[in-house]
Amino acid sequence: MISVHALSHHYVGRTVLSGIDTVFPTGKFSALIGANGAGKSTLLMLMARQLQPAAGELRLAGMPLSQLTVRQFAQQVATLRQFPDFRLRLTLEELVAFGRYPHSQGRLGPADKAAVDDAIDYLGLASLRGRYVDELSGGQRQLAFLAMTIAQQTPLLLLDEPLNNLDIRHAIDIMRALRRLCDERGCTVIMVIHDINLAANYADHIVAMKHGRVYASGEVAEVMQSALLGEVFGLDFEVQRQHGGYVCNYFTYR
Amino acid sequence: MRLMLIAIVLLGGLSLSLGSQTLQWADVLAGREDTWLTLQASRLPRLLALLLAGSGLAVCGVILQHMVRNRFVEPGTTGGLEAAKLGMLVSLVLLPDAGLLPRMVLAMLCCLLAGLLLVMLLRRMPVHGQTLVPVVGLLYGAVLAALAEFYAYRHHLLQDMQGWLLGDFSRVLAGQYELLYLIVPATVLAYVYARRFTVMGMGEQMASALGLGYAATLGLGLLLVAMVVAATVITVGAIPFVGLVVPNLVAMRYGENLERTLPLVAGGGALLLLLCDVVGRVLMHPFEVPIALTAGGLGGLVFVYLILRGGPR
Amino acid sequence: MRWRYPWLILLPLLLLAALFLLQGPAWGNGYLLSRRLWRLGAMLLAALCVALSSIVFQTLSGNRVLSPAVMGYEAAYGLGQALMVLVGGALGVVQPGMAGGFLLSLGWVLGYAWLLQRWLGRASLRLEQYLLLGLVLGMVMDTFAQFARFGASPGEFAVLQGLTYSSFNRVTPQALLYAAAPVALAALWLYRRRAELDVLLLGREQATALGVDYLRCQRRYLALAAVLAAICTSLVGPTAFMGVLVANLAYAIAGSSRHTLTMPLGSALALLLFLLAQWLVEHVFNYRTTVGILVNLLCGVYLLALLLRRKGFA
Repeated sequence: MISVHALSHHYVGRTVLSGIDTVFPTGKFSALIGANGAGKSTLLMLMARQLQPAAGELRLAGMPLSQLTVRQFAQQVATLRQFPDFRLRLTLEELVAFGRYPHSQGRLGPADKAAVDDAIDYLGLASLRGRYVDELSGGQRQLAFLAMTIAQQTPLLLLDEPLNNLDIRHAIDIMRALRRLCDERGCTVIMVIHDINLAANYADHIVAMKHGRVYASGEVAEVMQSALLGEVFGLDFEVQRQHGGYVCNYFTYR
Repeated sequence: MRLMLIAIVLLGGLSLSLGSQTLQWADVLAGREDTWLTLQASRLPRLLALLLAGSGLAVCGVILQHMVRNRFVEPGTTGGLEAAKLGMLVSLVLLPDAGLLPRMVLAMLCCLLAGLLLVMLLRRMPVHGQTLVPVVGLLYGAVLAALAEFYAYRHHLLQDMQGWLLGDFSRVLAGQYELLYLIVPATVLAYVYARRFTVMGMGEQMASALGLGYAATLGLGLLLVAMVVAATVITVGAIPFVGLVVPNLVAMRYGENLERTLPLVAGGGALLLLLCDVVGRVLMHPFEVPIALTAGGLGGLVFVYLILRGGPR
Repeated sequence: MRWRYPWLILLPLLLLAALFLLQGPAWGNGYLLSRRLWRLGAMLLAALCVALSSIVFQTLSGNRVLSPAVMGYEAAYGLGQALMVLVGGALGVVQPGMAGGFLLSLGWVLGYAWLLQRWLGRASLRLEQYLLLGLVLGMVMDTFAQFARFGASPGEFAVLQGLTYSSFNRVTPQALLYAAAPVALAALWLYRRRAELDVLLLGREQATALGVDYLRCQRRYLALAAVLAAICTSLVGPTAFMGVLVANLAYAIAGSSRHTLTMPLGSALALLLFLLAQWLVEHVFNYRTTVGILVNLLCGVYLLALLLRRKGFA
């Protein structure tokens, strides 16, 4: 779906990404993992066109990103970042309707309204639709933003640490919703995530980054290796398989 | 530091000799009476006033910056000047015959109150909104100014009020500037408590965790600032940017440990003001440009440069 | 989501407008009535300018305590006026309300705004830095204007002092006509683009993700806010932070951040405030204060309350 070619980026004198080459498989759920400062978020922001790359190229379905207009891009790629504080007086429904902007330019037609309803129902937010977003709890608010992203109805979704500060219930809600988007609607999902256990159990594809380079990438089973993850994070890792899922033990003090 | 002292001495000498009648140093050494009179009654007071006001304002700026944890703050951008103005206005109307001291006390009280209110406001501001602190401060100042204008308009004092705003040292004569000596104890106190202000710059929670009485330190800092601002506004008027530019320049080079940098800040403020004064007097000799103008121009330029450089870090 | 009580604003608005036109000697006097009508027109234009420029500016900056006044447009205006007095003397004062003076002052302020905006593009400043730059330049210009004003004779000073407050008495019909067309166009254009403005509320990243070319929008709307602010200042004088008040009242009353509500409501509130201040000056204070000073005071008190009440403002 989206491929990265010899991509480099730096902030004032400091190299953040150097020579990244990787492909994110279409219709799969990919997780970007790595330590703080490894360049995960920068890579995601470059894919989302929030930043301009210093060198290299990104292609969306074979087409260089730079050739798409902002609007065309927004019709194909939805991006969600974190909202640490949100003070706008908007109802949840109004917020979700923003997701239709790339298609409708603000004039909501019947198809747009259907998409909004669908996104709200998809995440089970119907009971909250008239509530003001600034009065929702952190988890509900994040779900509301995810609903906006879903209403955008793009084949590709990019998410930057959407689980930060969420309780486990809301975190699992979001992971399940994303999993279903892949399975039921064939969406491609790429997310930056810190919780390695959630990544291992919900994603299909993992890209592990270290010091601005792709350290390893592949199917979950290929990347979820004790030695490999130990290298990525500089910790002792013990990957265990239990009941068809993964559990990583990196807590034990030795 | 040594360079700074030399520069201050040199510029000070220059400032002493400049004026509508040029001072002959030979006459001074020879002990001619009229020359000595000029020196004692006008030139020396002026020099002292400049040094005091400059260092006082710079120290004020740095204390304020630590207190509200923002690099872009100074008495001029936090309503301090307007509050002092308001205090003077009230004193003019209520106690028309009072001398400088009662007026100063009233101005100081206003300054203190306004400072307290502002700190309360700013502490509610989220950390990420820090670039906008001076904007809020300025708005706050505008509110105080509106209050002052409303009051002044009703008592027909508008043009008088305009006069106080504009810093000018040409009116400084022996017998009229002595209030500025208040800056000396204020600066000394600031130096004694420098470490506390540094800790305070780390924020309330951090400061409390390190065992600092936050409220007491805050009160002390505001009191010092109010004292200096009120004294300068009453004797020489408002001078913009000194409190802003000097601490930022010093911090860029020497960091923010007040114990180490406070003397530099004080010296730098005095130096900047001296420089502005000399420039203002040379520019249109024998007339002089008020120092608020040269300081505003010069300080403004430096500040614009700081912003364009990516902002003081 | 529609605001359900438009008459709560409209009724007092109509009442005050009627009082302004008809109370006192203007009743039955054709000449006075037409003078008052022109002044009402000036109020309407100024209200549109103040409300729209502030709301747009706050949307762009994501901050609710700002108005275009912080960019130094009003300081530029003050300096321009003071310079005119210095060059031309008291008799040479071209009052801003008169057509020639209006155009001159407008050109001067717009020139400053244009220079500032050039800087934004060239040095690729962040918006906050840009604001700070405007703020500092405004402070410098204020100092210079004060100096010029201080050097003026008491007569000239009185004239200049009068110019630093907003007032509707000096507006001439001709200047009003010049101002009306661009303001009407700008207002119409903004209203048509209200959906885009809503998206901009979400901030740079999310707006980009929704297919809005943020940088281009930012430049365009900032320019528009500058033009509106310049017209308003040149027409009736500085309004300082009145825009902050009006915008925040509009958000509070509308109970929504959407521009389709806040823009018309803000404009109505601005007009209401002007009329109210005018009425107070005429009938309560008996001309012992001016509309400008009163508006400043009212807005200032509200602003302080706003700052104190809100836990965090972003």
